[in-house]
Amino acid sequence: MVVLLAPLMVPAAQASKASAEAATARTAAAADDLTLDYVVNRAIIGHAADGYYLDFSPFGSIELPRILLVRNPQGNLGLDAASSTKSLLKSGNYGIYPEGKDDLVTPGAELDDLIAEKKHLYGTVAPAGQGEIVVDLSITRHFMFGLLAMGIVAVVFITLANRYKRGIGRSEAPRGVLQNMMEVIIVFLRDEVAKPNIGPKYKQFLPFLLSAFFFILVANILGLIPFSGSATGNIAVTGLLAFSTFIIGQVNATADYWKHLLLGPPDAPWPIRVILIPIEIMGAITRHVALAIRLFANMMGGALIIFSLIGVVFVMNVLFTTGAAAWGAGIISTGFTVFVLLLKLLVAFIQAYVFTILSALFIGMAVEEHDHAHDEGASATASAH
Amino acid sequence: MDPAALAYLAAGIGAGLATIGAGYGIGRLSDSAMDGAARQPEAAGDIRGLMIVSAGLIEGVALFAVVICLLLVFLA
Repeated sequence: MVVLLAPLMVPAAQASKASAEAATARTAAAADDLTLDYVVNRAIIGHAADGYYLDFSPFGSIELPRILLVRNPQGNLGLDAASSTKSLLKSGNYGIYPEGKDDLVTPGAELDDLIAEKKHLYGTVAPAGQGEIVVDLSITRHFMFGLLAMGIVAVVFITLANRYKRGIGRSEAPRGVLQNMMEVIIVFLRDEVAKPNIGPKYKQFLPFLLSAFFFILVANILGLIPFSGSATGNIAVTGLLAFSTFIIGQVNATADYWKHLLLGPPDAPWPIRVILIPIEIMGAITRHVALAIRLFANMMGGALIIFSLIGVVFVMNVLFTTGAAAWGAGIISTGFTVFVLLLKLLVAFIQAYVFTILSALFIGMAVEEHDHAHDEGASATASAH
Repeated sequence: MDPAALAYLAAGIGAGLATIGAGYGIGRLSDSAMDGAARQPEAAGDIRGLMIVSAGLIEGVALFAVVICLLLVFLA
């Protein structure tokens, strides 16, 4: 994956520097939006990153609702909602900082021009008059696909749970492709992931592990569909998932775990404990941070690679004005894209599995009961490690 | 030298170093996995599963480097 990401760095590096002079000069004849800058910043990074719109180019785009928690000059909090960024700007209370510029464009002719060119989608909204935005609660692309993934998981598993309630799958064999497939996955997660890593208390944590697994899996796969986005390619989503693991682990942690974390290994002399305790505490936090970044980077990286490979065609078209270069690059990068897409399908499963198994492992580390936990002697707990 | 140029350079070198590390790690991993599978073909299925998970973990570390490289590029 890293190998494949290397070409991305080149266009990305070239883009913001070279595009201003080189690309615009060479593509005077090309379509207005087909500059290097457009390809790299809009088409490649814009698709992988979060945004306030759904991009169905070349068929157009759909703007998503904006919800802003604002504080007015009197210090009162209020909610401002609009069905789209456009209507929020048309309401007259908001201006926009166009991308890469520090001047606020207040409502007027200039703002109408920006909206006509659809550049308002990439800017930062700010109140035109007094007041400030406290929190931006807008529905973004990743949020929408996260909700969609949640909805799919809920519908599928509530349906299946009702079937088990009626006895299908308990007193008789599971029926249908969906139930058989899901039962296999659930039994696998229970027997191969939860039981060995958490131990006898696994039942309590199985709902979280299963929810996390299926949400991540569905969100990952949704990200592979053209024109969509992957909710797990957002650090906020994976961060919250990892934070849930962290909280569940800490809340259910045993006294042994806390003793080990805050007082160090029982047998160690105190100078070593002074070094070990900060390391233990940092380690407990870092491994959950790594859990979040691993999933985020895998999904984000995969999306960037796919868009970069497709982007190569357009970059070639912009750099060399002959069509032959774009055709050649098109054939090669289509092959690569298909390969990476299949790899990403594999990665979608692997990452969901890796997240689940590591969550189980971290929870297991916290809730692990040592064989002689009833014996509070320091030497006894020490030998458990 | 232009700080932005240095940042792009750092991102490029970082991506290369991350590739070397990840390549070496996955190489070592598959080396041992192949050895294990050749010696005990009946355990090949288990080894494959463990190998994929370990490869995912190694790749994750490499992707941390990628995130840092991307930050260097975007913030330059």
